[in-house]
Amino acid sequence: MFHWATRLIAFKDLRLRVRDRSFFIMGILAPLGLAFIFNLTFGGVLQPGGLDLRFGYLDLDGTESSSSLGEVLEQLEADDFLELTRFDDREAAAAAVEDGDIQAFILVPEGFDQELAIGAPKLEVVGDIDSGTATDVASAIARQFGTGVDAARLAVITTASIMGVAPTPDLIAGLTQDPATAAFTANITGLDADIRQLDGVTYITAGMAIFFLFFTVQSGVLGLLDEEREGTLRRLMAAPVPRAAVIGGKGLLALILGVFALTTLVVASSLIMGASWGHPLGVAIMILTGVAAAVSLMGVVAGLAKSPEGAENLASITAVILGMLGGVFFPIESAGGALAAASVITPHYWFLRGLGDLAGGAPWTNAFPAAAVLIGMAVVLGLAAGWVLNRRFAE
Amino acid sequence: MSQVLAVDGLRKSFGDLVAVDGVGFHVESGETYGLLGPNGAGKTTTISMIAGLLAPDAGKVVVAGEEISVRSTRGRNRIGFVPQDLAIYPDLTCRENLVFFGRLYGLGGDLLKSRVDEVLEVIGLTDRADDLTKEFSGGMKRRLNIGIGLLHEPTLLILDEPTVGVDPQSRNAILTSVENLSSAGMAVLYTTHYMEEAERLCDRVGIIDEGTIKAEGTRRSLVAMIGEKDRIVLSGDVEPAADELRKMDGVVDVYPGDHRLDVMVTQASSILPALLTRITEAGGSVSGVEIEEPNLEAVFLHLTGKALRD
Repeated sequence: MFHWATRLIAFKDLRLRVRDRSFFIMGILAPLGLAFIFNLTFGGVLQPGGLDLRFGYLDLDGTESSSSLGEVLEQLEADDFLELTRFDDREAAAAAVEDGDIQAFILVPEGFDQELAIGAPKLEVVGDIDSGTATDVASAIARQFGTGVDAARLAVITTASIMGVAPTPDLIAGLTQDPATAAFTANITGLDADIRQLDGVTYITAGMAIFFLFFTVQSGVLGLLDEEREGTLRRLMAAPVPRAAVIGGKGLLALILGVFALTTLVVASSLIMGASWGHPLGVAIMILTGVAAAVSLMGVVAGLAKSPEGAENLASITAVILGMLGGVFFPIESAGGALAAASVITPHYWFLRGLGDLAGGAPWTNAFPAAAVLIGMAVVLGLAAGWVLNRRFAE
Repeated sequence: MSQVLAVDGLRKSFGDLVAVDGVGFHVESGETYGLLGPNGAGKTTTISMIAGLLAPDAGKVVVAGEEISVRSTRGRNRIGFVPQDLAIYPDLTCRENLVFFGRLYGLGGDLLKSRVDEVLEVIGLTDRADDLTKEFSGGMKRRLNIGIGLLHEPTLLILDEPTVGVDPQSRNAILTSVENLSSAGMAVLYTTHYMEEAERLCDRVGIIDEGTIKAEGTRRSLVAMIGEKDRIVLSGDVEPAADELRKMDGVVDVYPGDHRLDVMVTQASSILPALLTRITEAGGSVSGVEIEEPNLEAVFLHLTGKALRD
């Protein structure tokens, strides 16, 4: 698969990496350290029951529409994400917050159903000032419910328009059996069918893995510039082997480093943190294609930089920006708009997407779409890297 | 002797800078050809094109009948390239360096093993073969740097200023090695800005400056170009006297430098007292005097109007 000179150069570098111990640092210690840190930081929090959430629920409207929020909260309680207490009046709920029995409550006001029909439904969230995170979570649940309601309402109005009738409040009420629940459920079902989601621990670990992968492969690819500075590159280029084989040697080294580091992290996070990565073959495909894309991208960076120091800076900046854009710190889709659209240009996004598609016991072939995009990126960026590096070394 | 290297009309520009402009020469087997010129004269650019590292804008390089090109590997295994930088891996042992580069040149098995042992013998590092090269002295590293270029028994050995930064003892060892290689029939292309090295090693010398070869020939033929002239090197506060000296009988030319004058004269011993007197009369003072027989440095001065060290 690789030219013999490419393998020769890569294994020479590997020997040097083993000798100066950087291989073990980048390939084993760093991923294990990361897994350990993630476990300490997120290990408990991101599991069901990891957060101490005690919420109250108060439905003053008492209609079918308003009760659907209660059903959503009960489902979350059943999934062990929170502890729910139902209240009959506002004062009792407020007193429970005051006493610390609950951290926040969500109130469905009287007239919610009617306001829903005219498009101005309101929910109220009251939280303990000392329980900011829990209050934020309660607000997020309320907002998510509201979004579902709006979507359902819009769908009903659109349907009414198509039918050629005016969308009066009565008509809307008549057409929507249970708009809020329907929309909320549809949303969740859509996510499940379309883009599976990694659990919290695995998502964070995968995000950090692809983020730090760029730094790992960077050290391999940029070795080309170190050889240029040290003078050994001239000797390599003068040898009777194709120039691409010399450049490829550094790429192969970076590929080996990246695959080794990612595999170590996957295994370690599974054993230590209980991360669930999905079908091993699918995960292996994602690792290979993700690393290949990262190596090619770093090759472009190496070709564009003026010096090894400049390349390191440029590579770091690229890794951080693409990492943020690709959603390694938080799911970028939630930001919406241009940011979410831009995230698809990053290997990070497709790596996480591919792993997400493998979640929940999905077959390994689910990795194909994201892997295909990553292979495409690797090929296009690899050709670009070859061109800029050839151009650089020709001068 | 057969022609090993033929360089014809090489030209290379970097933007507006013409680094090499129509360079041409040839080297035969068993011959050491020196490219003598100051830093920035175009030596390294020229040999980079010969080694296939840099594509020329014009001209061609043929080594042992194969045209050398950046895009092709043809003919490259006939060249042993020793770059000016120490192109070795400090975290590999001496033997590991040789084995790696030997493999890169297509050697393997018993042949590689025997060649490594032979080269270690030639460069005098057999007893340090398994030491990491980062523990080597500068001279030992230089010897290994040359040894790598010899591994595959090239037809043409290119040495780019191989003695820069080397102590006198190691320098002598390197020069002796090059003499032995040439005697054994290898064609050697040697670039240097040290006149003494060119005079000692080279059968023929090409004097290069500003990207062009100003003159080429044996040491004897080059020196003959400037006739039987002596060179007097005067140092001190002497530059203001340059014009006065030019007017003197027996003075052929005067080349001012930084607190020095290179004065070409017909006979140094007879004119020296008058020279010193004239400098004093012109308000100058002399702190040092050297008289040199005609040599390549004088030729370079004659051809370019500047000293090799400038």
